[in-house]
Amino acid sequence: MEAGIRGWGAYIPKFRVSATEIATLWGYDVKLPKALGVVEKAVAEEDEDAVTMGWYAARVALKRAGVSGEDIDAVFFGTESKPYAVKPSATIVADALGVKRRKLSTDLEFACRAAGEGIRISIGLVKGGLAQNTLVIGSDTAQANPGDLLDFTASSGAVAFVIGNPSKSPAAIEASVSYVTDTPDFWRRDRSPYPEHGEIFTGEPAYFHHILSAAKLLLDETGLKPSDFDYAVFHQPNGKFPLQVARALGIPQEKVLPGLVTPYIGNTYNASALLGLAKILEEAKPGNRILVVTFGSGAGSDAFSIVVGDSIYEVVSRGPKVSDMISSRVSIPYGVYAKFRGLYLRNIGG
Amino acid sequence: MKLSPSQFWRIRESQYRLIITECGSCGRKSVFKRSVCPFCGSSNVKHVESEGFGKVLDVTKVMYRWNSSDERPPLLVGVVELDEGVRVVGEIVGVGDNEEVKEGTRVEAVLRRYASDDPYGVIYYGIKFKPIKTA
Repeated sequence: MEAGIRGWGAYIPKFRVSATEIATLWGYDVKLPKALGVVEKAVAEEDEDAVTMGWYAARVALKRAGVSGEDIDAVFFGTESKPYAVKPSATIVADALGVKRRKLSTDLEFACRAAGEGIRISIGLVKGGLAQNTLVIGSDTAQANPGDLLDFTASSGAVAFVIGNPSKSPAAIEASVSYVTDTPDFWRRDRSPYPEHGEIFTGEPAYFHHILSAAKLLLDETGLKPSDFDYAVFHQPNGKFPLQVARALGIPQEKVLPGLVTPYIGNTYNASALLGLAKILEEAKPGNRILVVTFGSGAGSDAFSIVVGDSIYEVVSRGPKVSDMISSRVSIPYGVYAKFRGLYLRNIGG
Repeated sequence: MKLSPSQFWRIRESQYRLIITECGSCGRKSVFKRSVCPFCGSSNVKHVESEGFGKVLDVTKVMYRWNSSDERPPLLVGVVELDEGVRVVGEIVGVGDNEEVKEGTRVEAVLRRYASDDPYGVIYYGIKFKPIKTA
């Protein structure tokens, strides 16, 4: 075993804007949301950002892990919607959680996979004896150019994991691997308020190539077969791509659906696949094996094989569940979404 | 209220965390990290962090916006009694148009933005409260 997930937490804002309303407002075919596999997306309030959502998820993760801030040796904050262009988010969250000062602490950026990379770095630190426990946070208030296709899915949410000794963990990471290339499928230049994307270039050469390559590397290196996994969760830019990846790997749909959260909350970027993992951990049984593959544009993927342990039920009970956060929802119109997310140009102080 | 980076930095622990001061002399508790008990003046105090749960004792709707706040009115501001027995005033967020906050509503502490000095200034974070569903 490489390391373990000692605890996890999630945060999903309760406000939702309907994909059908977005289609109607911007003149798309009203059947488009169904084609994308998305019903609605979660919207953070105006006083929320990646820091505040990440703090909540991390607080629950510490509680589930049964550790305090004094026990955390490193904090990694994966986001592509940092409140500050320059000034770490990780330090704000760490101080707000009472994490000790003798620690590593940094923000990671790799589009939607920075938190996945944070878990891989944590595995190295824990396995190498440089850290007892690390805190990895994936949190985004994803931006989309209003009316762009991304507007249907770009949403808000966070997830956090305490990575530590596998023998103290309710889920052990038995293997992991990363696969990275230079692929310009999605980007945001300095001072640009919204990201750009390479249209259909985001599919085959980016999302599918990297996820499938990372998954196949993991299978090759471990000798595991797709049928050895009880659950599979992939990065979820929409509700359809993860099912297509599963089909390509020969994994039946019923093993993917439990971790598929994007149809109900949108794409939470750095939280996306890992929120799916959190939901699966809350439903899995001891002995279950989970395949997780993240994806970040630019582009890269991390694949993990995770085995659920005997203490899972007790650890699940220590915090709020992802499924409850999904079902606790309040609909808002697009106008309120625009207000919450600061899409109106206003004179500050007026 | 306009803060400054240095002023906020000095008080950030009390902004970020619900620290309770417990007096070893008179036995009373007060919110915020204090070196002296506000009730009896004793310095025989210890500090514990609240679990962050409580109930609303009273709530009011504030219709003006304070300087530097990014938020538009109305704001809901309530008196919350924490489960540890101390009372604190805080903004109540995460309330939908058709939802009601009233005496007895269970709430949970959350970290939220309070303000920033200007569009490019320091962002001030602090504790607010959001309603939680009870069984």
